[in-house]
Order: sequence, then structure tokens, then C-alpha cells
Amino acid sequence: MTTQANVLYDDAPYLNVRDEGFSIRSVEVTNAREKSWFARTPYGIAVLRYADMQKLLRDPRLRQGAYAWPRLNGVTGLFASWWSRMLLSQEGADHARLRRLANPAFSPALVTALKPTFAKIAGELIDKFSGAGECEFVGEFAEPYATRVITTLLGLPDDEWQRLAQLASEMGLALGVTFKADVVRIDAATQKMFDYARSLIEERSAKELGDDFISILIKTNRENQEALSDEELYDMVVLAIFGGIDTTRNQLGLAMDVFLAHPEQWKLLGEKPELGRAAVEEVMRVRPTVTWVTREAVQDFEYNGVAIAKGTTLHLFGQAACSDPREFPDASFDITAVRKPHFGFGGGTHHCLGHFIARGDMSEALAILAHRLKRPRLNGEATWLPDSGNTGPNTLPIAFDRS
Amino acid sequence: MKICVDLKKCQLHGQCIIAAPEIFSFNDNGELKWIESPDEPLRKQAEDAADVCPEQAITIEQGS
Repeated sequence: MTTQANVLYDDAPYLNVRDEGFSIRSVEVTNAREKSWFARTPYGIAVLRYADMQKLLRDPRLRQGAYAWPRLNGVTGLFASWWSRMLLSQEGADHARLRRLANPAFSPALVTALKPTFAKIAGELIDKFSGAGECEFVGEFAEPYATRVITTLLGLPDDEWQRLAQLASEMGLALGVTFKADVVRIDAATQKMFDYARSLIEERSAKELGDDFISILIKTNRENQEALSDEELYDMVVLAIFGGIDTTRNQLGLAMDVFLAHPEQWKLLGEKPELGRAAVEEVMRVRPTVTWVTREAVQDFEYNGVAIAKGTTLHLFGQAACSDPREFPDASFDITAVRKPHFGFGGGTHHCLGHFIARGDMSEALAILAHRLKRPRLNGEATWLPDSGNTGPNTLPIAFDRS
Repeated sequence: MKICVDLKKCQLHGQCIIAAPEIFSFNDNGELKWIESPDEPLRKQAEDAADVCPEQAITIEQGS
């Protein structure tokens, strides 16, 4: 480390990302972003500005860093070992092999074909509460919607959704700052998810295999263990269920929360359903469930005059970067604005695998909701996951005008 | 076939390199390079790359 780099490093603001009360949306973070492109944290640095995040997300001198999340939290166990083995934590040839295997099941063409199904699921859920003029948005819409999209996609029985949603939700606690405190609950849910995956694979294997994702994985595994080992098969099925449910539920809850504060935008979306996709992008820019992504240096290098040592963790604060006034002079929520891409799906080699589906199903859901639920407003007290890590409302009671 | 990449849309995620390593690569400056008119046996790879690009920046034109 050069002397100059040391000075720069020591002068940088400090953010305690370990604190349960820490928020990427806080003034503390905004102030830090104005002072410096990065901040020091209890482990590694936090990258705060858009241009730097854009570069570092795909920098080949960094690897995906979330694999170390359990270790950084001092946690071992079932979730921790699955997390460190699965697709997102892999690099290089193994990552490419698994990614190529999974890609066809998440293609844009498939999503286009599923649009009518998304609309049907959304319509059925809204029918159940529209007459009441109120609902608990997470429990009555976001969660069943996200879960039924996944059960449909994976060809699982519809009546499994509640059980799977519960397990995904409990496993999801691992991605928040309370990981260590919740580990017993998280591991119990992970065990049940693996049991479910195992019985699903056994059941599917007993039948004639189709073209669905699970069948394709089973076929590959049967033909060649090198292409997909037994362990990788289970890990992938658990990832497909967990990854699809937890993030989409949280993101839909966050979307509703943002629109509650911007009624004129909701009204506009209700009148122009073609803005559904733009609404998803704008919500994910200002209020992503994945508030930061992590990278780890695989070699020593210098960036912006700061020496980054091999092994350093870099928290890329997507939410802070996407309100950076250098790139978004008017960062106010506007679903008609043309924006630079947000980082809500990460980026680079590890760009979210399921993003076409997430974008497709949330676009459809938001457009239909805005059309049917007029003038939504908060109807009681919402409860929340911790504000950083993977965030979102646990419950969000709303009222609306009966249509 | 001819492969076109809209570099205004491209965000250099590198998903095309995973899907079609024989067509796409990054050079030492981190810029995307690709074989513009690959041989027919690489069509599947080219289509996979176009399909998987998160920004949908890749198009395949027919003909030589």
C-alpha cells in the first residue's frame, strides 16, 4: 500500500454495515457518497457511486463475494454450506457449466409465453380481496403471487405454495443482518426445503421426464455426473425455489410501498399498463430488495488510488449508486423517465439468472394491480425486514377504492 | 449469419461469453470482441448468447 493510498483510505467515511439499524437509505450513506466514492466498513469497503459500481461489478479482478457471507457473519450449518456451494457462489468453469445448464429454463421466450398465466394468477388473487376494499398486500398478494409463479414454472402442485413460501421466507432471513441470531430457524427451514427437493426429484424421476427445468436437471444428472452431480442437482432445485420466491415477494412489497407514496404514478400506471415494465425498473432503482451485492478481490490491485488487497470484501451499494446525483440529477421516482440501468439484479457474470421472469411477472402484476386497486393507501402499520441486506415488508396492510 | 451487438445497450455483463465462448470474449482492456460471421455449426451458441443477454443487445442476421 502506498502512503497516498493509506491517507485516502483512512480519510474515507466509516459505515457500520453490521449494525441492525444500518440503512443504505440513510443520510449517513448519502453524506458518505458525497464525500467519497467509497466508505470503510467493519469488513472491507462499501462502494457508493454509480460509475464505480458499474465498473467494479464486472471487474475481472473481483469474484462474487456472497459465498463468504456466512463466514463474515460467523455462521456455519446447513444454509451456510448450501449457500457456499450453489451457483451464485461458483466461479470460472464450474459457474459457466451450471449457468449454461440453467439458462434455457429462464429464457425471455419462455417468459413471453407465460404472460397470460401471470395475468391469471394475479387476477385470481385480486378477486379474493377486491370486494373488501382492503388487504394485507404481502400475505394476500406478493407472497402467493411470487410463489405460484415459481410452482407453475417448476411444475409443482399449486397447493404446495403456502408451505414453500414459509420455508423460503425463513431461509431468506439468512440474507439479512440478523443471520446469526436467526440461524436455528434458518437451518430448520433449509432442511425442510432439501427434504422437499429430494422428494420432488424422486417423484419426478419416477415419471416420464418432460421439458420442465426439474426434468432437464434430472436428465443431465442421469446422463453425466460430471455435467451435474447429485449434490449440484439438489442445490439447484433448492436455489430455483428459494431464489424465485423470496426476492420477488420482497420486491413486490417494496413496489407497493413506493407507489403508496406516489399516488399520481400509480394512477398513471393504472391508465397505461404498458408502463408496467418501466415501473419495475424504476421501483428497483429506488427501492431494490437486494440493496447491495458483494465482491471479493482475487488479487492485489489499485483502484482510484486506493490499494485493494487480495481478499478484501467490496460491498457494492446498488441502492446508493442508483440515486447518485452524478448520474441521476433528478432522482425522484418517475416511471416515465429514461434511466441508466439499475443494479437490482446485480451485474456481470453473476447477473440474476431469473431476471426475465422476475421482470415479466412483476410488470404484469403491477399493471393489473394499478388498474384494479384505485387510490391505495396504508391501512395500519406495516412490519419490515431489516432495512439492509435483502429487505422488504413482512406485512403491508392497504386499503383502496372498491372498483 | 451475422452477429450484431448494440454496444449502446451492452453493459459488459459477459453472459454471452458464458453461453458462446467460441464467439465472444473480452480483450485485455475489457472490451467485448466477437466473431462477426461465425460458421454455421456455431449457430446454437450464437442463439444462446442472444437469448441470454440481460440487455438483449445481440441480434443475429441471416445470410452470409
